[in-house]
Amino acid sequence: MSRSTQQREYHIVVLGSGGVGKSCLTAQFVQNVWIERYDPTIEDSYRKLIEVDGRQVIMEILDTAGTEQFTAMRELYMKSGQGFLLVFSITSLSSLHELTDLRDQLLNLKDSTHVPLVLVGNKSDLEDDRAVSRARAFATSQAWGNVPYYETSARRRQNVTEVFVDVCRQIMEGEREGARVRAAEAYDRGYRRRRRGEEGEEGSTWARRRRRQRRGGTRCSIL
Amino acid sequence: MYAPSRTSASSSSSYLPMMARQSTRGSQDGSRSTRTSKRYSVTALYLSMNANQRDLEIEDDLARAQKALRDLKAKISMQSKKNFVLEKDVRYLDSRIALLVQNRMALEERNEVADHLDDTADLSEGTFPNDEKTQKYGNLLFLLQSEPRHIAHLCRLVTLAEIDQLLQTVMFTIYGNQYESREEHLLLTMFQSVLTYQFDHTPDYSSLLRANTPVSRMMTTYTRRGPGQSYLKTVLADRINSLIELRDLDLEINPLKVYESMVTAIEASGKTLPPNLPRSVTAEQAAAHPQVQELIGPRVRMLTDFANGFIDTIINGLEETPYGIRWICKQIRSLTRRKYPDASEQMICTLIGGFFFLRFINPAIVTPRSYMLIEDIPAEHPKRTLTYIAKMLQNLANKPSYAKEPFMVKLQPFIQSNKERINKFMMELCEVQDFYETLEMDNYVALSKKDLELSISLNEVYAMHALLDAHNTELAKDESSHLSQLLQELGPAPPQVPRKENRAINLPLYSRWESALDDLTAALDITQEEVYFMEAKSAFVMILRSLPPNSVLARRPLRLDRVAEAAATTKNDSVMVRKGIRAMELLSQLQEMGMIHRSDHYSALRDEIEQELAHLGSLKEKVIAETLKLEEVYRTIREHNSYLVTQLETYKSYLHNVRGQSEGTTKRLQNAKVLGPYKYTHAQLVKEGVIINSNIPENRQQNIYFNITSPTPGTFIIAIGYKGRNRGIIEIDLKLDDLLEMQRQGQEDLTVEYVEFNVSKLLNILNKRSVGHSSPQASSSVTAASSSLSSSVATPAGRHQERRPSLLGSSFSKSEYTVINIGSPEMPRLITCVKSSQGFDWNQEMFLPSYIDYDSSDLERKADPVEDIVLTEEEAAAMLPQ
Repeated sequence: MSRSTQQREYHIVVLGSGGVGKSCLTAQFVQNVWIERYDPTIEDSYRKLIEVDGRQVIMEILDTAGTEQFTAMRELYMKSGQGFLLVFSITSLSSLHELTDLRDQLLNLKDSTHVPLVLVGNKSDLEDDRAVSRARAFATSQAWGNVPYYETSARRRQNVTEVFVDVCRQIMEGEREGARVRAAEAYDRGYRRRRRGEEGEEGSTWARRRRRQRRGGTRCSIL
Repeated sequence: MYAPSRTSASSSSSYLPMMARQSTRGSQDGSRSTRTSKRYSVTALYLSMNANQRDLEIEDDLARAQKALRDLKAKISMQSKKNFVLEKDVRYLDSRIALLVQNRMALEERNEVADHLDDTADLSEGTFPNDEKTQKYGNLLFLLQSEPRHIAHLCRLVTLAEIDQLLQTVMFTIYGNQYESREEHLLLTMFQSVLTYQFDHTPDYSSLLRANTPVSRMMTTYTRRGPGQSYLKTVLADRINSLIELRDLDLEINPLKVYESMVTAIEASGKTLPPNLPRSVTAEQAAAHPQVQELIGPRVRMLTDFANGFIDTIINGLEETPYGIRWICKQIRSLTRRKYPDASEQMICTLIGGFFFLRFINPAIVTPRSYMLIEDIPAEHPKRTLTYIAKMLQNLANKPSYAKEPFMVKLQPFIQSNKERINKFMMELCEVQDFYETLEMDNYVALSKKDLELSISLNEVYAMHALLDAHNTELAKDESSHLSQLLQELGPAPPQVPRKENRAINLPLYSRWESALDDLTAALDITQEEVYFMEAKSAFVMILRSLPPNSVLARRPLRLDRVAEAAATTKNDSVMVRKGIRAMELLSQLQEMGMIHRSDHYSALRDEIEQELAHLGSLKEKVIAETLKLEEVYRTIREHNSYLVTQLETYKSYLHNVRGQSEGTTKRLQNAKVLGPYKYTHAQLVKEGVIINSNIPENRQQNIYFNITSPTPGTFIIAIGYKGRNRGIIEIDLKLDDLLEMQRQGQEDLTVEYVEFNVSKLLNILNKRSVGHSSPQASSSVTAASSSLSSSVATPAGRHQERRPSLLGSSFSKSEYTVINIGSPEMPRLITCVKSSQGFDWNQEMFLPSYIDYDSSDLERKADPVEDIVLTEEEAAAMLPQ
């Protein structure tokens, strides 16, 4: 990207079941407005300039359709996104359940267990209708490999900026990590001792990681 | 196959098109008197009963056309069920294969996936183990079918994970005959019940029908049935296809995106950006930019034109809209009115739009390919345009708040100019007649039939039973209820049988609580006179239809007595004679009852018969037209079917492949013995034809040896060694599968480093080793390895070919690799590997073999580089001593 010399641009995708408040959350973050209306989304995109840890970043936010009939589009969103907000409503347990499949699909597509994502329990203002306990949601986030869990209220603008910033920070960390790995790789190339799959679990994990790196990386290896 | 009786049960459906048409007429015109309505249902009833009397059926063009239509409908119903099942399988495998590819799947799960694939062929016919079971299940399914409230209740209780199985059985089996009014109407009754519950239990209006619930899943599944599919095809396909042809038409109106592509275009042409075009701008800056505005203006107009076109066809297609979909809209309207008496029309339209547009029309517009409306994935620009059109349609249904994407405000004129007609359209969608009256009658007809059957698979029955069982406490609270009784008698649900033991059964349906009705007149509250009247009408219509069209008797006004007499005296046609005699009897009976009078030439009866005939005349055209349309639908779903089948085949072959490897893994776990090394000299391999070419200088060849090791079955390491050196020069990892693959593709030679192997011959050696793995005898004869070489060559290579057809066809992946020696053979080499693959990327090890990571002896003293190995907590825990 030519732009990378200037500001960082990150693609963030908001996913989740229908009616959990993805658009409200996004509109509240980008436009500082609260949408009262019944207005199902098909696909909306936004851009927001924000400072994260002292760096100017541009967030390209894709707000997606929660309606299950549009799931055919999901894969494309997942491919294009770098960071993901997985949103459910604390008033609906099934909306949390749906995220599990969604996350599986995401991890498969990204071929990685470390995709920048945040678990978001929206509608925290509707405490009286709560159907998902904090402990439950937190357990889910733990089971997902300790991903951050936030409870938000788009209506009251609670934790709204935080979730977007968190996912952004994760992407940035990933980039730094990636840079480190690449540097280390360049150093190691050609010196690495070969490891075989038969060395057991550790070996296969390693092989997986290696494959990942290779796929993303160069197709030409020099001996 | 559908049971013959089902086709006979649906004979009545040959008259149903007119009923359906009737019922789409406004329900509020109120012009139909009770008398005509009763007459109407009696006619249908009579004809449907009569249809059982096969021997008296007439054979004219209409009857033939109707029969063809009936058969077609049965085929469509069956095919769409098959597709549903296949789609489910493909969906399941889509998610699983990805895991498999990444080796993340546990072995048991792999086998489960394999089972899933093992038998996708048609089920063979069978029966229940015993008659008692057959009876009980027949009764249970009759109850479930005729009293939709049970299933409706169940739909609310099951989880989203269970619902697919349930809906499959419900929509494609229990109410599977999509064109039979009784089943369709019962299904819709079930819908109503679920919808009502949803309305009653949704706290606020704005979240109504928003979440993904069993209801929304039901709606999706329902719209996927034949009628919905054919509607989308007739109404939307042309529009979408003509739009997709405009591959390069960019109608983006998001100022940021427009600005961005403008900047990119300038940069790509090599020019520098003018000072008034900074690279990064805010949305407001972009929107304010004159060049952006210049571009967006005409695009908004074009988008408006396109969207208007879509609205035109959708509105014009009002009458094409499937009855069931309109009826659901109607339910949404009346439920909204009931729950929110003050609801404005706009609010109602919003909710109807939340079903009709959001769940039915727009998904098809946005992803037309998954609805089989187009063949290829649309190009980037048309895809975006389609998304815009869907957004515009959705905005029409829901008052847009431009709080979301501010630039959409540019489309406000479009919303304004269409708001009225779209709201009117949505209200008109709701104007369909209810079917309760006909449903009641259909149910009686069903009861009066003695051979009601349901074609269902054993596993479907068991799965349904299991679901009922699981939610028993909720469903059968009242222990004296029929459902509760049946469940008690049936006991716990049997487990699912393996696929290969699954059977399709024709389950006779009956009800132990309701005896088949003999006295229909009492049940339906109609008089004997009316029954005679209908019978007479039907008899005359049949006689007249059998006459040659230009017969004197067919002239109007009809002389009924002469027609009857002529029929009664027909030669060589006993059916006709019987009809004639019966017609004569009926005429005199009806006259005695005072229903008709000879004096006015039986005008009361005659007029109805003439009307009926006129109606039948046009009916034939309609039947033919409908048949043509449905043939198109059938073709589409068949195409989809073959696509799904191909997809499954692909997965299947892939899986077989992986399984071969996974079997190896299990063996390794049981017996981690590494086989080999087996030592071959260069000369031996040349002699056997394994090496067909060698770069190794002849004077060194005698010092070269090859060690073949097999750490796990299916994996081989060929180490090329040089006498006197401890470690091999090069190690090559080979996977049996990869070699098989090459062989299958006719790729005969494999160049690795200094030598070129003949794939088939190499396979023979390796195969010998691989056999050795499973047989302890062979593995004990390690020392004899080289001497047994010649015999191993004889192993037929064909064995591998039958083992699996491959996924890696040439269309799937392509791999090229080049090895360039720089300097002398012992110097470093440049190896490039070009791989392109669709779907699965694998074989990596094959073409970037081990020597990439291999320490050459020069570097032997170098310390191992430190690597970051990131461990998850579980992994770390597993490595620590327990």
